[in-house]
Amino acid sequence: MTASASDRLFGYSHAFDHPVTIWVTVGSIAALAIAPLVIVLLSRSGRVAPDRLGRWWLRWRTWLFLTPLILGPILLGAAWTILGVGLLSLFCYREYARATGLFREKAITLTVVLGIVLVTFAVFDNWYRLFVALTPLTISFILTVAIFADRPQGYIQRTALAVLGFVLLGSGLGHLGYLANDANYRPLVLLVLVANEMNDVFAYLAGHLFGHRAICPATHPRKTVAGALGGLLLTTLLVVLLGRLVFRDSPLASPLHLVTLGIIISVVGQLGDLMFWSIKRDLHIEDFDTTIPGHGGLLDRFDSLVPIASAVFHYVNYYVGGIGTDQPARIWTTFG
Amino acid sequence: MDDWHYKPAGDLGLPAAEAFKSLKRESGLIATSLHWLWWSFVRTYLWAWHRLKVEGREHLPTKPPFVLVANHSSHLDALVLAAPLDWRLRDQIFPIAAGDVFFTNPAISAFAALMLNALPMWRKSCGPHALKELKQRLIEEPCCYILFPEGARSRTGEMLPFKAGLGMMLAGTAVPVVPCYLEGCFEALRPETKWPKRHPIRIRFGPPLTFASVTNRREGWEQVATDLQAAVKALAPRTV
Repeated sequence: MTASASDRLFGYSHAFDHPVTIWVTVGSIAALAIAPLVIVLLSRSGRVAPDRLGRWWLRWRTWLFLTPLILGPILLGAAWTILGVGLLSLFCYREYARATGLFREKAITLTVVLGIVLVTFAVFDNWYRLFVALTPLTISFILTVAIFADRPQGYIQRTALAVLGFVLLGSGLGHLGYLANDANYRPLVLLVLVANEMNDVFAYLAGHLFGHRAICPATHPRKTVAGALGGLLLTTLLVVLLGRLVFRDSPLASPLHLVTLGIIISVVGQLGDLMFWSIKRDLHIEDFDTTIPGHGGLLDRFDSLVPIASAVFHYVNYYVGGIGTDQPARIWTTFG
Repeated sequence: MDDWHYKPAGDLGLPAAEAFKSLKRESGLIATSLHWLWWSFVRTYLWAWHRLKVEGREHLPTKPPFVLVANHSSHLDALVLAAPLDWRLRDQIFPIAAGDVFFTNPAISAFAALMLNALPMWRKSCGPHALKELKQRLIEEPCCYILFPEGARSRTGEMLPFKAGLGMMLAGTAVPVVPCYLEGCFEALRPETKWPKRHPIRIRFGPPLTFASVTNRREGWEQVATDLQAAVKALAPRTV
């Protein structure tokens, strides 16, 4: 392994080299410190219902654990970031399989899990061709493995559910991990995560203040047109501000690209949210699990990130001439 | 063979500690792997250390649902009963274990759920709803239960009277119930001892009984208990 690869994968001493990494880290800590004061002030104003205040306290306590769990691996090195994303994919697939009932199909589920593990390995190895090949190959394996149960009735439904699960949570989230193969991965990954989280917050606030007309009332009555537009406007602004520093000296630093990236993150993120709400409505469940108190399951928390990861990856990949191409490829599989 | 139906896990949304105790708990990939590992170890151990002998294997149904009932005098009993069963049924075999022994401590509870695949029966507060839930799962899923109708381990090695609660689960159903007799478990691991002694163990499976025509009322439940007790006793060696 070359020194530059080792530095990127495990070099925590460079954690705060980029101003965006510092700002996001300090901003996250400040937000966690200020949030209780805001909740107390709102509580004293008497304008917020007690059950809503209770939910906010619960969410704040959960973020006290979630923030270091998300920030820690990114600051420590690309290897931990990739491993973290791999584990996130596996746990999200677990929730999806348990919610749909697919977990009862052990051979199919094992194939999807192996597919996710291989995707994580391809990312870790910076082996883009394997990473790309694993999507069609895993789909073919899912379809093949399902044959041997010798139950043609329901074959399409079983395999289609598994393919959907793998494409969204294995391949889709794998793109987030692949961003860690960029030499400048910390601010880039943080930009995606912060923009995604703030997109939710902006849409919630705008919807709460101005929202009347729901976008898809049967899917999610609280997702309003005003909320979506507010989220779009503010998230794009945030991406433009942070993106100017993240993409400094690259073709993506132009205002047009930054605005486009902001629109992509906001629109795709909000659609991702509605996509998973559609799945939940179809399954007649409220949450995918209870893993994260106050949020539901991991999939309830990171639903919008699933489509954002691949959308951002391919936009950036196209305009910067390939993510990870300036880094050593096939770190672990090149011998001699 | 049916079309696909969305059916979320029975224990979906329950925190882990609650899921372990849930009668609706279902096994995922991790639990299935742990079951296979555990039962492979148990099989090897029973054959190597206790020279386990199995008689009447031909009486075991090949597909669920079915219930195994046996005499109970040792913590080895459930392990011995489940060991000869087909490995493909591992996720569908549920030893019914005393809730107050196996499901009050979080570590033991995790072991009982993830390794043994046991379901709890709360002896002091087991209402008809729990038995109804077990009966429903037995038939609808379908699955297999390992039951000890004496309700507790015998402290002398002598069989205790079978409790009628078992009848509530089985009366009026066509589920085959296989009577089994365990010999040598008491000597190998007595209730007052901690570690098993090297002592041969033998298990006898008898022909299955069904109780489809038995009324689902108290007299029917008692009849089920009496018939099964007689069937298990008949498998005991003459000297017992």
